[in-house]
Amino acid sequence: MNACVASFAVSCESGDRKGVRTLQRERELNRFLAEVEKRALRIAEISVRDRDEALDLVQDAMIKLAQKYADRGSDEWTPLFYRILQNGVRDWHRRQMVRNRVMVWFGRSGNDDNDYDAIAAAPDPAGRTPDEQLQSHEAMQSLEIAVGELPTRQREAFMLRTFEGLDVAGTATAMGCSEGSVKTHYSRAVHSLRESLGEHWQ
Amino acid sequence: MKERKDMAADQAFTEKAKQLFDESVESLDANTRSRLNRGRQAALEELATGRRVRVQWAPAAGAAAAAVFAVVLWIGNQPVDELTAEASAADFEILLTEDSFEMLEDLEFYSWIELDEEAGETLETEDIVG
Repeated sequence: MNACVASFAVSCESGDRKGVRTLQRERELNRFLAEVEKRALRIAEISVRDRDEALDLVQDAMIKLAQKYADRGSDEWTPLFYRILQNGVRDWHRRQMVRNRVMVWFGRSGNDDNDYDAIAAAPDPAGRTPDEQLQSHEAMQSLEIAVGELPTRQREAFMLRTFEGLDVAGTATAMGCSEGSVKTHYSRAVHSLRESLGEHWQ
Repeated sequence: MKERKDMAADQAFTEKAKQLFDESVESLDANTRSRLNRGRQAALEELATGRRVRVQWAPAAGAAAAAVFAVVLWIGNQPVDELTAEASAADFEILLTEDSFEMLEDLEFYSWIELDEEAGETLETEDIVG
């Protein structure tokens, strides 16, 4: 009887420890996702030019991270999360291509991108005059368009390095390529953007 | 000297880009923030329970897989060139993703796949992992 009670107590203790670990992990993941989600949304939005689609992509990335990588070290989460998100964005573009071809076949235009208005979608910055807001909106709109026109790998490298602030190694993990490739893509992206936006942008 | 000046200009450019980006992030509207929060809670629920969120797709996935299998068998009996076959396989893979099932309802699509001679030319073949 005593052995049975002792066994039950050990079992409960083990279960409690596991429960506490899960709770701690959940809190850590919540902090991480809360910290990264807004930037991730804007990065996805610049890539697909649609906020609703970007929200879906970010949510999918969050769920996949929780499903597959929650037990990894929290320092690994950022590149892993962005790798999932970038793959989601690439898949989205591929599906769009197929959809557009199908829509053309059925005599309908599958391209709804024309509805996108970067100024309307751009948020209102707080604490600045309307002129300043407008200038920022215009500058950000120009930047978004220019970034959106970059080749895929250059766009990814630029956004992960500049917007998310990942280092070269983290960006390489997120993009699934070598650090040398990241440096090349990033350098080309910056030069291309400076050229397309012109000196007046700065 | 020129290289150093160029590096400084690059840095000034990326700093301004980062500043504009951060402003746009911090100014996201309440509705968007709320939707992000709901998405995060769904992910955390996934962690807590380990259950799949979109299980309602399972029956549709089964039906779609069966339909695709039948079509693949049918196409397998037709004479197709190598490029078309490769493109068709890639398209099926894309169409099997969750939010593309509505397209499978119309079997005329498959006729198009067979007839589309340019199918292989527009698909990117980037290496995608995960």
